[in-house]
Amino acid sequence: MKIVFPSRDFDKTVAAACHGSASDEQARALNEVLRSDAAARDEYILRLEIHSRLASEPDLFALASEDKIATSEKILPLRPPRRGTDRKRTWVLALAACVTLLAAGWWGLQVSRQNEPKGTTSKAVAMLNRVVDAQWNQRDEAPRLGAPLEPGWLRLKSGLAQIVFYSGARVAIEGPTEFQLISPNEALCRSGKLTAEVPPEARGFRVDTPQMNVTDLGTSFGVDVKDRRTELHVFKGTVEFQPTGSTVRQNLKEGTGAMTESSRPPKLIAADPKAFASLFDLQLKSTAAELLRHERWRASAGRLNEDPSLLVHFDFEQTDTSEWRLRNASGRKNVAPDATIVGCQWTEGRWPDKHALEFRSVNDRVRFDVPGEYESLTLAAWVRVQGLDRQINSLFMSDGFEAGTVHWSVRQDGVLALTAIGSEPREYQICTSPPALTLNQFGLWVHLAVVIDGSAGQVAHYLNGIPASEHALKIKPPFRVGVAELGNWNAKGFPRNDPFMIRNFGGAMDEFCLFGRALNENEIRALYSAGKPQPDAAAELKTN
Amino acid sequence: MPSDSTGHSGDASAAQQQFLSLFLRSEREIFRYVALLVPNVADAEDIVQQTALALWEKFDAYDRSQPFTPWACRFALNKAKQWIERRQRWLALLEGGLAEELAQRREELRPEMESRLKHLESCLGKLPEEQRSIVEGYYYRRDGIEKLAEHSGRTIAATYKNLQRIRQALQVCIENAAKGV
Repeated sequence: MKIVFPSRDFDKTVAAACHGSASDEQARALNEVLRSDAAARDEYILRLEIHSRLASEPDLFALASEDKIATSEKILPLRPPRRGTDRKRTWVLALAACVTLLAAGWWGLQVSRQNEPKGTTSKAVAMLNRVVDAQWNQRDEAPRLGAPLEPGWLRLKSGLAQIVFYSGARVAIEGPTEFQLISPNEALCRSGKLTAEVPPEARGFRVDTPQMNVTDLGTSFGVDVKDRRTELHVFKGTVEFQPTGSTVRQNLKEGTGAMTESSRPPKLIAADPKAFASLFDLQLKSTAAELLRHERWRASAGRLNEDPSLLVHFDFEQTDTSEWRLRNASGRKNVAPDATIVGCQWTEGRWPDKHALEFRSVNDRVRFDVPGEYESLTLAAWVRVQGLDRQINSLFMSDGFEAGTVHWSVRQDGVLALTAIGSEPREYQICTSPPALTLNQFGLWVHLAVVIDGSAGQVAHYLNGIPASEHALKIKPPFRVGVAELGNWNAKGFPRNDPFMIRNFGGAMDEFCLFGRALNENEIRALYSAGKPQPDAAAELKTN
Repeated sequence: MPSDSTGHSGDASAAQQQFLSLFLRSEREIFRYVALLVPNVADAEDIVQQTALALWEKFDAYDRSQPFTPWACRFALNKAKQWIERRQRWLALLEGGLAEELAQRREELRPEMESRLKHLESCLGKLPEEQRSIVEGYYYRRDGIEKLAEHSGRTIAATYKNLQRIRQALQVCIENAAKGV
């Protein structure tokens, strides 16, 4: 093989070198042309420089994205999670082992700067999903069912409990167990018995015990820690384990396991699902119950879509999460087309197989356009608040301050707020509820609704189907939507840098409804009941 | 986190902080230096890791009056060569003194390249959405070629080809911008 410059072969071979896919033959031919032709060499250096800049300058992407939003409202996935970060962190840890000081590397720095929390943000990493006859041995108060859990110890004296990590991993523990939550993807088990089910998005979920570190590479395993001994059982998929103090990692396949005692080398064992029967039962029941809830909600959402007053219904049910359009499932979708997703990340919704969009960065938003004028409007959404970092955290806002439009938000103190903008200059009205969203609701799915009733002259806020406040409405209809955003606000000509004007929401949303009429209290309650993540009483299962 | 302030905690930790602060500032440049020899991103990153450890071991010998990056790049060149020696294909690519020649020529071309590369960001902004998403997936998110191929509904070979075309488009764009076209 011989390559000349310039030629298609040259282009192809340089590209193969960049991708690490060049053959020996290509490598030799490239060497020859680069050594003999100075122009080829210069061209090669420039091409590799472009390639390596792209790979090493994350700013190139972040900044270009912001620009685009400001100028052309184009859709871009902003600041997505970086695969590279994990690699990076591993080696920095290796370095830190030498220098004892932990540095996150510039990629790490980059990421942490961007996500720097401001204001009240929940530190929760998981939630307590289900319990069966659970007796706790907590120093402070026992964890409540459905409550978000911050990093720290869970001491279960007896009974069963299921914890859902925000990464999506589900861990069931059986008392007596001492279990420490570390991060959304990491836990420590000092003693006791657990099973973990790890969906693909939580791959890498890690459980440490005094004797070993266990990293899930997909699906399901059990861990039993007693005295100075840890047993690991792999029920499905592959699990990586590393005896404490050893640098050797080993993969275990489905049906196998490992046992380490004190500091002796690990022994291979066969996986024994029977030893974890009660925990499997809990996981199964919980999964089945959740699938059922999701199914029921789907059925009622289908009926809802036939309501002619439902202008917009984002059910976040589309399966293709690389898609930048958010589908309007309403039967009247000809009124309002699909929305555009800007930034945001897909995440788990109210149920494990339900999708949601997570809003995190100042650019994350969903944009859509609803033409027309309406005497009344009703807005309703299922949201999981992660933090109220801004003075005003947007749920739904029409662009700018146009006459007849509304802004729906949560204030930093947890107050639900609706601003209606009048037709006169500076004419507007803000209707605020008493503080409704408190810290202990952060991390939980809540249903929020607001009714703007133009004919009765009334505004009502709702939280989980229950009225939170009512207000006399002074602004006169008609009301409009126009171009609006979920989870953010386009100030349209107002100063961009004023902190008051930055209103991005911090959390996830997995359903949004916009009706062109005022719903009554019963209808709002029905919306809540059809969609609540789990039945109120049934969450506490009884052992049979 | 590393910081430039040498703190309360003795010489060793002050040196560590100083090292990390210097290293993190130079890391991108070291990466690009290595990537000129071993262009594959994951491999280049591995070499940068090994370089970091070697640099820390020899940090005592670093003359603080000299700039850090050239000193570090000498280590990087050695690490890259060690790495290449164990890999037939890369050895074939760089044999006959080509590694040194490329590194030296890159220094000479630097001012000229800078005048073009400063347009890279605005050129990225001009890419059509689909291309932009692929380049972002490959270089920024590090999605892996299989995932990118799957998402775009193309074969892996077609996705590589697409990346090649996108880089070509970026190159044309930055060259035009540098010429003021």
